[in-house]
Amino acid sequence: MKSPGLLLALPTALIVLLLGFVPLIVILVWSFWTWDPATYWIRPEFSLAGYEAILEAGRWSVIVGSLGKAFLTAAICVVIGYPAAMAVHFLASRRTALLLMALFTIPFFTSYMIRAFSWRLVLGRNGLINGWLMDLGIVDQPLDWLLFSNFAVNVGLVASYLPFVIFPLILSMQRVEPSLLAASQDLGAGFWRTFRSVLLPLTQAGIFAGFLFVFVMAAGSATEVQMLGGAAASMISVMINDVMRVVNFPLAFAISTLVLIILFGLIFIGNRLFKLTSLFEGFTW
Amino acid sequence: MMTNNMNSLNGAMASNISRRQLLKTLGAGGAALAGGSMFRPMSALAAGDLAFWATGTLDVGDAWSRAADDAGLNVAFTDNGNDPGPAVARLVAGNANDLFDIGGLQGGAEKELAVQGAIVPWDMSKIPNYENVWQWAKDIPYLQHDGKQYGLPAVINADSIIYRPDKLGKVDSYGVIFDPKLKGQVAMEDAWINSAVFAAMYLKESENQKIGNPGNLTEDELGLVMEFLIKHKKDGQFRTFWSGWEQGVQLVGDGEVLAMTGWEPIVYEGRKRGLQVEYAAPVEGYEGWGNNLVLLKGAVDRGLGDDAHKFANWLLDGFYGCALGEQRGYVVPSDRNVAYAEANASQFDPAKVKALAEHVKAKFSGKVAWQNTRPDNFQLYEEWWQKLRNA
Repeated sequence: MKSPGLLLALPTALIVLLLGFVPLIVILVWSFWTWDPATYWIRPEFSLAGYEAILEAGRWSVIVGSLGKAFLTAAICVVIGYPAAMAVHFLASRRTALLLMALFTIPFFTSYMIRAFSWRLVLGRNGLINGWLMDLGIVDQPLDWLLFSNFAVNVGLVASYLPFVIFPLILSMQRVEPSLLAASQDLGAGFWRTFRSVLLPLTQAGIFAGFLFVFVMAAGSATEVQMLGGAAASMISVMINDVMRVVNFPLAFAISTLVLIILFGLIFIGNRLFKLTSLFEGFTW
Repeated sequence: MMTNNMNSLNGAMASNISRRQLLKTLGAGGAALAGGSMFRPMSALAAGDLAFWATGTLDVGDAWSRAADDAGLNVAFTDNGNDPGPAVARLVAGNANDLFDIGGLQGGAEKELAVQGAIVPWDMSKIPNYENVWQWAKDIPYLQHDGKQYGLPAVINADSIIYRPDKLGKVDSYGVIFDPKLKGQVAMEDAWINSAVFAAMYLKESENQKIGNPGNLTEDELGLVMEFLIKHKKDGQFRTFWSGWEQGVQLVGDGEVLAMTGWEPIVYEGRKRGLQVEYAAPVEGYEGWGNNLVLLKGAVDRGLGDDAHKFANWLLDGFYGCALGEQRGYVVPSDRNVAYAEANASQFDPAKVKALAEHVKAKFSGKVAWQNTRPDNFQLYEEWWQKLRNA
């Protein structure tokens, strides 16, 4: 059965190779070439100038800051998404579960731009939240930090990417043997003990997969920070756009390469620690 | 000799691999997959077929069909995205010259495009309507290089400050943007191409700082201007930096800011929402900008040079100016617009066409610093902008 399966997968694998792997190699190679400001183009001469420039103008701090924002977003998504996934898998009827899953996918029906923009209307000086807070007499003046701040960026990122953590979590929960949970309770463990000692360890691959999905997408996002961030707020993608605007290709590719190495490193380490591939164990061709 | 040969080989490799070839080779696969054509084959070109690659604001939609009626030109308009960086890169190192005949770019890059051989000079004897272009528009820097005309001003306007007179009274200086009393209630555009110019104009005219041309800052001047912006950013002066029409409108419309540098159409949109919004006439002057027509070398190579000149002449003949003014409120800097409207009063209201022209002319009657998409130190501008982002 394996051969026909592999044959069927071959075209897809080739397309992934062509559209995914080849551009990555080009990015990697060009990041070490020399940029010629006289011609706006690059020469195939080895240079580390692109990587050196990452250390200038505080570019490295944008990378660190972006990864920090992405980490926080992914962590918040896991914390919010885990109970949501539990509700779908353990508590809801089949029909309610489908309804809940459909609700989680609603954000996908709108563009990132519209989603981020709508948060401006909610978090703004004259937005919904400030309106409620003032109506209730909780504050006298609108809270400025609700919008155009790191807080607003994180709200936008969590709202955009939350569904990406829920589905891997549901997948991992489906792979937990119900008898194990029943056995834990039969042996006298309460909800929290069962959760901590049985469910959490058995769903760690799903937690990491969800975390990774959100982390990667949040690290590569630009819309949320541009729409909701403070003055001239930056993310890796915004910085790459800035660099591309002055057509410094090797620098843009060096930033991309560095970020790719960090992300691949994270996947590698995470897989070693959390056995990401276990999510797909048991699937047959 | 061997070394020389090796050097020649290396040189040949470099010139062969670099620029067009590499991008074309890499891009060909993608274009083929997309079902598009990477090049316009000569055989597919009919006389009068012209590809106009310009900022979206220059598009007049169905009105392009008039170019066919008036001059026998079939104009295919493509939006170039208005981001000068990628547009210049695509002209110099990409496939824009293979696909398009005439460009419409924000002014400033003409010299570099000419030096790179991506654009060629216009033959002014073939554009008689250029005589009617307003003199000060002809004097825009960047249009000429080496005594030759590389850019033709297709659309011009000038930007300043959008503000709320009901909250601030009359505003007539960029000082309002940097006024500590308005901390957190002002904004600038998220682009050095505009914000560095506004700050430089303010520092030059109102703070008597030694600045020559706000549109082309030297290294020292740029440092001075950017340190000034960084200081104000750190002080929390700016609510945000905006980019794009919707964001600009929302900032003003929802009362997020009381003043911001930006585009005049945002004022009209704010008024539509019932707000008291004005556009300032700053004592430091306006930031003028021109979107200029450039003749792509590829057009001449394909034998479309004469048609391209015919197109430029048609664009300055009046109808296009009237149509663009009516559709988008932008002005082609020529007296032909009013003349055309007067001769075709059933099509366009001459009073409106005249009022629009006078409005723009009035802006340029005082001080103007010209926007420049490619200042000499443009790489340094990007570096400083990163420092501002990280401050």
